[in-house]
Amino acid sequence: MGNEKGYLALVLHAHLPFIKHPEYPDFLEEDWFYEDMVETYIPLLNVFENLTEEGVDFRLTMSLTPPLCNMMADPLLTNRFSRYLNQRVELSEKELHRTAGTEFEAVARMYFDKFRRYKDLFENRYHRNVLEGFKKFQDMGKLEIITCCATHGYLPLMVHKESVNAQIKIAAQDYRSRFGRNPRGIWLAECAYNPGDDKFLRDEGIRFFFTESHGILHGTPRPKYGIYAPVYCPNTGVAAFARDMESAQQVWSAESGYPGDARYREFYRDLGYDLDYDYIKPYLHSDGVRRNIGMKYHKITGKVSLNQKRAYNPAEAREVAAQHAGNFMFNRQKQIEYLSTIIDRKPLVVSMYDAELYGHWWYEGIDFLEYLFKKIYYDQDEIKLITPMEYLSIYPENQIVQPSMSSWGDKGYHEVWLNSGNDWIYRHLIKSAERMMELANRFPNAQGLLRRALNQLARELVLMQSSDWAFLMTTGTAKEYSTKRTKDHVKRFNELYEQIQGNRINEAYVYELELKDSIFQQIDYNVYSSAAKEAVLAKY
Amino acid sequence: MEQNLSSATLVRPIVKDPQAEMDVPTGYGKTESYLLPKDPAWMFLFWEITQGTFDYLRSQYGEETLKQARTIIRLHDVTGVPFFNGNNSVEYYDMPVIFEARSWYINVPKTGRSYIADLGYLTADGHFILVSRSNLTSVPPGHISDIIDDKWMIVEGDFQKLLKLSGADYIGLGSSERMQVVSQHWKLTELTSSGSSTSWSSFALHLDKVQEEEEDIWLEADCEIIIYGSASKNAIVSINGKDIELKDGKFSIRQHLSAGSVVDLPIRARNAKGDKTRQIMIKALREQGK
Repeated sequence: MGNEKGYLALVLHAHLPFIKHPEYPDFLEEDWFYEDMVETYIPLLNVFENLTEEGVDFRLTMSLTPPLCNMMADPLLTNRFSRYLNQRVELSEKELHRTAGTEFEAVARMYFDKFRRYKDLFENRYHRNVLEGFKKFQDMGKLEIITCCATHGYLPLMVHKESVNAQIKIAAQDYRSRFGRNPRGIWLAECAYNPGDDKFLRDEGIRFFFTESHGILHGTPRPKYGIYAPVYCPNTGVAAFARDMESAQQVWSAESGYPGDARYREFYRDLGYDLDYDYIKPYLHSDGVRRNIGMKYHKITGKVSLNQKRAYNPAEAREVAAQHAGNFMFNRQKQIEYLSTIIDRKPLVVSMYDAELYGHWWYEGIDFLEYLFKKIYYDQDEIKLITPMEYLSIYPENQIVQPSMSSWGDKGYHEVWLNSGNDWIYRHLIKSAERMMELANRFPNAQGLLRRALNQLARELVLMQSSDWAFLMTTGTAKEYSTKRTKDHVKRFNELYEQIQGNRINEAYVYELELKDSIFQQIDYNVYSSAAKEAVLAKY
Repeated sequence: MEQNLSSATLVRPIVKDPQAEMDVPTGYGKTESYLLPKDPAWMFLFWEITQGTFDYLRSQYGEETLKQARTIIRLHDVTGVPFFNGNNSVEYYDMPVIFEARSWYINVPKTGRSYIADLGYLTADGHFILVSRSNLTSVPPGHISDIIDDKWMIVEGDFQKLLKLSGADYIGLGSSERMQVVSQHWKLTELTSSGSSTSWSSFALHLDKVQEEEEDIWLEADCEIIIYGSASKNAIVSINGKDIELKDGKFSIRQHLSAGSVVDLPIRARNAKGDKTRQIMIKALREQGK
């Protein structure tokens, strides 16, 4: 232990549902992945590269969910992304000429420089596999990559523990195949924790997870340190770390949060709408409809209409990001200083965010993080960045508290994923899980086509269980897509189930689904057997 | 056509999904029920009861008995009960239910407990006939624990300070802002669909067709609304001018809503002195259907 007064654990949750449509040459919803790659994931790697080059030591905990890892490693999607990135480089180069001598020259130059740099990283340094980059920083000890439920499945709404077990086991196996070691931590989808599910984490060697603040505050017995130290779950000893609301509010608050600064980039004013149609058309989707293309030349400016926004000044915005990073650090110092007067150990502040907030939504969030890492490293020694495992090695003794059921969703429990707008899905999710268990129990040693069919059945089930679909039905965005995805997986599951039951498996059908729903190449349907679940429960 | 498709994609043409245009099943042909937790105050029960089950019950108990019986959810508090046999619960609560509804939101009588829901008939002479028993589910306590750990003691005043700092006042708040931002993330591409347009339209067409084919069906429906919420522990809360009882600071009332009616439900809270008030207006409209 050094002279620091306390610790800050920064945690980013990177996730997208598995969206891949090989059946179409061009698919709109795949853009979610391409946008986040170019605005968040690669820019983050770029920050790590810069810091390392400069010799700045940093610590960050980051979930890369299994669906996201599967997409990052998928040849079809990475090829399509490469094309997407090339188009951005091409357009931004044209823009250099078009904007020369105008007020947009600087921002056009910024995009060109960034896209070229990201292309170089993606193609040459990571060989189209950004997981290589993330793994590199994990192996250097700077980054702690944690896993997530296999398809971001919402555990407290799974009646059958076989489903919980499978979500964890499939995720852990996927993690091992990509990062060459066991996952030490997990981001439970939506931070949704159900007492007892930690048994399945423990069985995979997972040592910690994260909860919303009341997961620990409402735990039993009373947590001595509030949320400023982790607790151990009874029987399993898996550690729970809770989210600090003060640092969360500083970023998320609609009124006072950093991202609303008038000098930051305006999200809604996009070149896809601003430029001449014929000029921009090659960069739109094949249907030619104007949409956001991710290049934006204006700043928030203030409460004015979109056409009154002023030109974005990249240097000015970076300066603001640096100020905000300084403010964030100052507030953590004050917070930790005050907490030290109340508790008898060095307090830990856990700041958790969606990774895509940084870069995709809050464009300068990436610069903010880079400045924050640098300032913490160079400018002070009161707070120290830490990972959960490092904290546990400093403080191995922690209070045993049963955390409360909770989630980080609106109102703190399950309403976002269970309400009158989406509750119909659980009839199918639960029935499909029951049928999956039934077949796994009946065919413990399936071979050949039957084995392929059972494995595909497991893929359809986990894809159906993505919490994203229920979330999108509630928020009303992409409701049609999320409803269709749920129904598609239910239908595919049932069709395949009937084929297996009737001993009439159609190989062409299995093949088609293997192609479309290609997540988890190495899945083993036996994770759904009741014996696998009982084996875990018998241990703890 | 895509230039760099992975080779596997092009090896064989993709066959049409034989089920792609079918909707999901309404049921799975098995009498069963499942209970899910929603939050400390609510659970969700859904069920399926097959014709076979109804036939069996009629043959066992007689049509007349069932006709005169009330259909209910008997919610058993099974906290600490190692093996529930139908009669050994800590307490149970009966609530009327309509079997045809196929799902129901249940207001939890006590937070932090474990429950099993039995669906069944309550006969005129008070006999309970079980139709389906749910799984066990537990709801969270929703408050700070009263249990204090001897080994990890803290001065009460310090604990209160910590709670405040830990964001106890924010619980469940703030997340909605996150949700808005995250959902914006998805909105960008939502304006119209691209490659998928064909499949969307065929999907919609099929739904219409299903409705045309099924002519010989019947339907009955009615409507109740549930108003629920919470207030400061010593506040006096009224709905539409009538004071209501708070349990642990929470309240919930059900109100029938007849077709074509508009109901105004002003909810007021006042402190004991009567010098501070808060009000929330809820207006419910049930449009006159055909």
